[in-house]
Amino acid sequence: MLFVQALVTGVLLGGLYALMGMAFSLLWGVMNIINLAHGSMIVTGAYVAFVLNQRLGIDPVLTLPFSATVLFVFGYVLQRHVINRVVQRNIFLTLLLTFGVDMMLINFNTVMFTADVRSINTWYSGSSFDLGGVRIAHTRLLVFVLALLLTLALHQFLKNSRTGRAIRATAQDPKAASVLGVNVPHVYAVTFGLSAAIAGAAGSLLAIVYAFAPGSGAAFTLKSFVIVILGGLGNVYGVVLSGIFLGVCENLVSSFGHPGYRDAVSFGLLLLILVLRPTGFFGKRSYAVSRA
Amino acid sequence: MQSREPDGVPAVTHRKPMLVANWSPQRLAVTVLLAALGLVLLFAPAYLGTYWLRVFSMIFMYASLAQALNLIAGFAGYPAFGNVVFFGIGAYSVATVMIRGGSFLLGLAVALTVCIGIALMLGPPLLRLRGHYFAIATVALNELIKQIVNNLTVTGGGMGLSIPLPPGTPLESARTFYYLLLGSMFVAILLGALFKYSRLGLAACAIRDDEVKAEAMGLRTTAIKTMAWSASAGLTGAVGGIYAYWFSYVDPPTVFDMVIAVKAYVMFLFGGAATVFGPILGAFVIEYASTVLWSNLLEYHVGALGLSIILIVLYMPDGLLRFFRQRFKLATAKLGPQR
Repeated sequence: MLFVQALVTGVLLGGLYALMGMAFSLLWGVMNIINLAHGSMIVTGAYVAFVLNQRLGIDPVLTLPFSATVLFVFGYVLQRHVINRVVQRNIFLTLLLTFGVDMMLINFNTVMFTADVRSINTWYSGSSFDLGGVRIAHTRLLVFVLALLLTLALHQFLKNSRTGRAIRATAQDPKAASVLGVNVPHVYAVTFGLSAAIAGAAGSLLAIVYAFAPGSGAAFTLKSFVIVILGGLGNVYGVVLSGIFLGVCENLVSSFGHPGYRDAVSFGLLLLILVLRPTGFFGKRSYAVSRA
Repeated sequence: MQSREPDGVPAVTHRKPMLVANWSPQRLAVTVLLAALGLVLLFAPAYLGTYWLRVFSMIFMYASLAQALNLIAGFAGYPAFGNVVFFGIGAYSVATVMIRGGSFLLGLAVALTVCIGIALMLGPPLLRLRGHYFAIATVALNELIKQIVNNLTVTGGGMGLSIPLPPGTPLESARTFYYLLLGSMFVAILLGALFKYSRLGLAACAIRDDEVKAEAMGLRTTAIKTMAWSASAGLTGAVGGIYAYWFSYVDPPTVFDMVIAVKAYVMFLFGGAATVFGPILGAFVIEYASTVLWSNLLEYHVGALGLSIILIVLYMPDGLLRFFRQRFKLATAKLGPQR
């Protein structure tokens, strides 16, 4: 029974991971940027939710649009005025640049909210229901459903909306897209804003089920990377499945192995995948290995 | 089109014997200047107090780390973002050996062996990965080893390890570490020069510029990349070992800190990638600035470091050394396009 319990908890956690992975893969797929500030953006979203909840008593679920908006603006401005100057030039530079942004966000959050570990309590925080002997917390189920809905919404947006088509066209060939009238710097900025907004929303959801501190972002960045590699870049269903897979793996290890190795799972898994199968399990294409 | 070395120097100049008589006046002047600076650094400790000894030791340490990163990232073009993993492994090697009564030198030998061994073992599978994938693979390696060290009892877990203090007064031990780290910086410069002026380094540059072509030319790319990474790992591990003895305490968050790797990264990029003295120059400028300026900012120093990283990336992506060379035409080299 413990096994099923760990499995279910892992699946529920995986929904949130999938959402983080989607935001991360959007930037990677469109601009070939590995956003090292991704985790810190998620944590910043969590702090937005925290502040709204503490000061105004807003339910963390309802803070979602706020944290998404704040992060969208941040992402748009950052890309438009800073990252656009080095994008497509050299991966050294974008890695360093986003790490610099990461450090500034961590510093900002530490100064604003102190280094204390925070969490949000709601009236439904402790409640759970029984499903055939498995306890399911209401909060976790809620976060799972919302995260999956957001992931699918993002997918639909990219697939069917006008902006989404412009983003995908730019991803395929920026020059051709610009010839056809797409404002590429703007589309890049919107893409970053969108990715940041999803990260912010993921932060709001994170705040419901997890405790967080200014420095907890790095682990999320790496996990997002694992999920995207495992699921294959540009494959939504792959990302959702691998998010859930990672959640389950982590939960099984912390339930039956050593809780201290919980985070080590994702990193070990990442190395293993990169060595054995760099295209991921559902990957369509990969930049990973230079030789065919 | 003439085949070019990444710096833009025609590859032919490599064949010329390096005779002092052939050197340009600028080159001679720079060499004399560097030798003089070396002598000053050699005799400076007699006149320095513990504070400045410490500042300079820190600069030497980062200069070595930046040069180590330069070997794999600057010359071979593989962004080993998580190279700090070898710093941590080196530090823990020395700590675990010394805590069991071994000497510092034995610890250093263990650190070198372990780091080079790991790089040799993991090099062939990991160095197949390009770009982001390799960068993140090294970061994952660092986090993985950090977690393992954090949970093992041999390494003291999250409590860390305390190493016996070095003998002598604080001033004497400060001088010892000054010379140890000066020595490691010297080794780092030698390694950089070896890469700049050897076939191995040239091959590494060829891999950076076009790996497929390099392989088609008959270069054994995997072996070359692995050698570059092992040299980088060995140097980083040795410096980590010295650091452990110097601070006489290691714990996972400090020695596996990504910020160490990123600082080294910024330094070699700021000074000039794939040059012999660029990383050293970068380390001197940035570490000095960080000591003097950012120590006054206290709670904002992480953010200030982040901001300066962003500014350097935006305004000086080709590095200080090339910036100066362009201005003063110090080198005969014309600048090739930077990747």
